[in-house]
Amino acid sequence: MTIQSSATRRRHRTVAATAALGALLAVSACAGGTSVGEAPSGDEVVDGQGEVTGSARLAWWGAGQRNEVTNAVADMFEEEHEGVTIEREFADFGAYFQRLNVQGTSGNLPCLTQMQGRQLNDYTSRNLFLPLDPMIESGAIDVSDIPEEVLDTGRGTDGNLYVVPYGAAYDALVVNETLVEQAGSEMLPEGYTWEDLQSWAMEMQPNLPEGVSALSLSGGRPNFLISYMAAKGETLFKDGKLGFSEEALAEYWTMWEEMRKAGATATPAQMSEQPEQPEQSYVSRGVTVADTAPGNSIINSQATLDGLGNGQTLTSLPLPSGEAGPGNVLFTSGFAIPVNCDNVPTAAAFIDFWANNDEAAAVFASSNGAVTNSRHLEAQLENPELPELRKHDLELYQQIAESEPPTVVYPPGYQATFEESYTRAYERVSFGEVSIEQAVSDFFTEVNAGLGATG
Amino acid sequence: MTTYAPAPRKPLFGRTMSRNKMVLAVARHFTMIVVLIVILYPLLWMVGASFRPANETFNTLSLWPGNFTLDNYVDGWTLGSFTFSRYFFNSLLITLLSVVGNVIACALAAYAFARLEFPFKRTLFAVMLGTMLLPYHVTLVPQYVLFNELAWINTILPLTVPKFLATDAFFIFLMVQFMRTLPRELDDAARLDGCGHVGIFRRIILPLSIPALGTTALFTFINTWNDFLGPLLYLNRPELWTVTQGLNSFLDATGQSTFGPLFAMATLSLAPVVGFFFAAQRLLIEGIATSGLK
Repeated sequence: MTIQSSATRRRHRTVAATAALGALLAVSACAGGTSVGEAPSGDEVVDGQGEVTGSARLAWWGAGQRNEVTNAVADMFEEEHEGVTIEREFADFGAYFQRLNVQGTSGNLPCLTQMQGRQLNDYTSRNLFLPLDPMIESGAIDVSDIPEEVLDTGRGTDGNLYVVPYGAAYDALVVNETLVEQAGSEMLPEGYTWEDLQSWAMEMQPNLPEGVSALSLSGGRPNFLISYMAAKGETLFKDGKLGFSEEALAEYWTMWEEMRKAGATATPAQMSEQPEQPEQSYVSRGVTVADTAPGNSIINSQATLDGLGNGQTLTSLPLPSGEAGPGNVLFTSGFAIPVNCDNVPTAAAFIDFWANNDEAAAVFASSNGAVTNSRHLEAQLENPELPELRKHDLELYQQIAESEPPTVVYPPGYQATFEESYTRAYERVSFGEVSIEQAVSDFFTEVNAGLGATG
Repeated sequence: MTTYAPAPRKPLFGRTMSRNKMVLAVARHFTMIVVLIVILYPLLWMVGASFRPANETFNTLSLWPGNFTLDNYVDGWTLGSFTFSRYFFNSLLITLLSVVGNVIACALAAYAFARLEFPFKRTLFAVMLGTMLLPYHVTLVPQYVLFNELAWINTILPLTVPKFLATDAFFIFLMVQFMRTLPRELDDAARLDGCGHVGIFRRIILPLSIPALGTTALFTFINTWNDFLGPLLYLNRPELWTVTQGLNSFLDATGQSTFGPLFAMATLSLAPVVGFFFAAQRLLIEGIATSGLK
């Protein structure tokens, strides 16, 4: 009896202790939420004017060569402005945003925070960045050489400019010319449509060597869908929700399923094994003829293909067109200034320097997407030392930019909700778990519940 | 009356057994070696790839580098503004401090829970175990806010000071379990000889707990050496980077990755872990086998 009751007592005490711990955690978790986004009160305008001195932190994503050139530009800025130090922080894309999120929670964002449109509104919806329009009006930042529609990609959902885009990436269709020729097919013509792409892939497939597929199974790639919808003239996002119709998505996935069932794509199992670095993609290894990929990745892919030593060459085309015109959209990168920055004049001067200094642009040489400053783009295209593939990459960008691509403003939660759910939803279709209609309806429910939440 | 003569059968039976045993042992070892090769294959492939020219990294599944080269090691070591010797030094410093801190602090805390009587002991023990249930990500942000307020960002303090405060509940638990198996009579004998708690801890408990201390040291070493998120958050300046951050700087999903040097440096970064494991292997097995964590 006594043993039993003491054991019971002990259990009670343990339960009580655990409950107390839980309560403690809940309290501390609630208390943390309010300190984020100590935004300056609405009427206070930061125009970026002031003495350029002291130190400022600069953060970007990248590796190897891009780190070298970014460091070089920062060094040039330090040389031009005596008494200024630029402290640098860099990491791989994924790790970069992991760290940035944590820094954002405690008001410790770097004065120069590199951003992309896809993540931007996760931050602006929490008032973490300063609007840059006043700094442009005051003359602290000059954006006159950046085309209007490219500049607009740096705007938040509220219409303010938060990022001055310095580099524009786009997705392209990377095609293995050698394999196309060997299969006896023609290259896709200029202005080709999704229907053209589909019949091209299905006609080529029987003539390809064993183990080679005409296309990757990219029905789960968010960027490809975005370009499809853009070409169709559908709105991607509206009021923080999905802007296109369920029918449009069902139609898109039906097209992919037709190609998959005809054997013109890689299998779903192969797709789930494909590594994310461009060097390891199936196109880079010559086992897939064509796939969508970031335009600049053709250089890395060709290098891997060269290593195989079979003399195959790659080229890149704009993504398919549709009723509303070409389907390309731009993914721009640039710098934002957080509200917690204590050295705004220096940060503004740095953004201006990056966007307009000729020598800096020549050194950076479009290392993170094509340079957005039109004058610099011309200069780089005229450079006789420019490698052939890089030139092709920049020309394709120029072609896309001139076609005035639609500006996509990504709602907060885009990366966390849309991209994850989209890939998963199509995997469920391609692995035969659910019907297309079911997957589409689940996807819409899931994403509309998660998008736009600032929680 | 029948007479039994079982004796002659024994050796025959025994011989068959031993032959069977032999066959079994060969079969078992063969299976284990095959499984081992399968498990080790990715690792061996990485070592092989580190000796291949950079653009041939992904071209073959074979382990043997065709065009043998040491370029990856040379290029990898000198990549960026600082060399890997700096990163190795930083990693070693943080790892050694963490090991020392964890071993001392967790042993002291474990001694208290295993041997001392104090108010709320059971409650506190439950709370300590409760911290093991919290995923790292839950405490990540509060910790960052705290260390930011203390102005400890860009120092190694956030990664080492907590280790001296017995924050790793798992190791405390491990050592408590181990110390509970040590006979209390030894404590009593020491007390008769005039030892206080410090004396008992130092002269009796510590020497007998070597296997548990070794296990703690080994796991702390491996965890700290391989930690990426901690250094990523707290060590932003390249001169403070650890090896894991150095390795990450070879990769970029949005641009150019350099895999050859990455594999070369990854191979080198395994050396300390493997070395430490071999040195502490005996203690590790003893520590796990005797502390009830079977």
